Amino acid sequence: MKFSYYPGCTLYTKARNLDMCGRKAASRLDVELVEMPSWNCCGAIYNTGSDDLAAQVGPVRNLAKASQLGAKLVTLCAACYNVLKRACARLNAPGNETERERLLTFVEEPFERPVQVVHYLDILKNDVGWEGIRARVTRPLAGMKVACYYGCLMVRPREVLEFDDPENPQVMDELMRVLGAEPVQFDFKAECCGGYLVVNHQPVAQTVSKAILDNARTWGAEAIVTTCPLCQYNLERGQGVKGPRGQELPVFYFTQLLGLALGLTQEELGLDYNTRDPVPFLKAKGLV
Amino acid sequence: MLTSESETVAQIEELSGQRVADCYQCGCCTAGCPIGAAMEPPPSKAIRLLQLGRASELLASEGIWLCASCLVCGTRCPRGVDYARIAEACRAIILRSKVSRVDPDTVTPEELDDIPQQAFIASFRKFSV
Repeated sequence: MKFSYYPGCTLYTKARNLDMCGRKAASRLDVELVEMPSWNCCGAIYNTGSDDLAAQVGPVRNLAKASQLGAKLVTLCAACYNVLKRACARLNAPGNETERERLLTFVEEPFERPVQVVHYLDILKNDVGWEGIRARVTRPLAGMKVACYYGCLMVRPREVLEFDDPENPQVMDELMRVLGAEPVQFDFKAECCGGYLVVNHQPVAQTVSKAILDNARTWGAEAIVTTCPLCQYNLERGQGVKGPRGQELPVFYFTQLLGLALGLTQEELGLDYNTRDPVPFLKAKGLV
Repeated sequence: MLTSESETVAQIEELSGQRVADCYQCGCCTAGCPIGAAMEPPPSKAIRLLQLGRASELLASEGIWLCASCLVCGTRCPRGVDYARIAEACRAIILRSKVSRVDPDTVTPEELDDIPQQAFIASFRKFSV
């Protein structure tokens, strides 16, 4: 299977661990991710203003380029997924022809075919399939209790993303079970981590991140799994204030746990890039 | 030229694609808002201000700058009102008058090293001109 892949800015730098394991794990699953040439920033947030066409040009240009390569564009960063998919839905919305026409005058690349924005987890579930992954697990994550944290960008707005239940999403939980881990049920799966408020309202971001961590601990989680560089950042930093049980929770990208179960080496997992060192936890579980 | 309160409400409705009269003040949005405790006014109260034609009060508030667009309010609203879009429309009116809330020049080198790019780009696009 071959798909075009859109990494985005953060996956090239501060979240390279999300990206590097994603690519390596994909090749173990016979999925070829071909990075889209000359992609540009997705814009990091979707602009909802009804007259804000300029903000749509960046994501739409990516979509136009992607349409020349294939019918699906795979994203891994939750923000890129959210922005590109919403821009795509707006572009193709029935009754939106006038805006579409105006918008496309700003984009040099023509659309060759309709393009569908999908998330890496979509590919795992619907193209590779859980059984296909299970068959390739060489290092089951037995005895690991994880809280799968989806945040906002993967699940809302529901009617556009149609990804999973916005109140109780399940895709990552299903994946973790396939890998041999035990996902815990917890209340804050799709609560906001504070997002970009961390730039100018750090205490607010820390309060909401801490609430997520405390709730995950209460339900017995030993680690958090995320899909988003900003959630990962906020949840690692949110531990500055210790929760009721005191212990730190390592915060993994789901691609790191996927890679671990598929037998990638410690170096390939990019564990050194996690701010809270997860290696002692993995050693205690006998996984590295 | 001075804009009347009702004109400002109409402008917010147009920019956001929402109708404030649709809200029946059940408070579901405020109850679910993860930042609701720190946000003044919280979503339902903000919409009430607009229903009462007190748009300038909302535009002058701190609350509209604390919304992180997580969309819980709109997802749970039984009347289909998306407060995140209303808050964004309010911010847009202020930002378009060339008043920034976040100044990229004040970011320290340590913060640049630490915080993901995604957060900076999002913050600058939501909160600065």
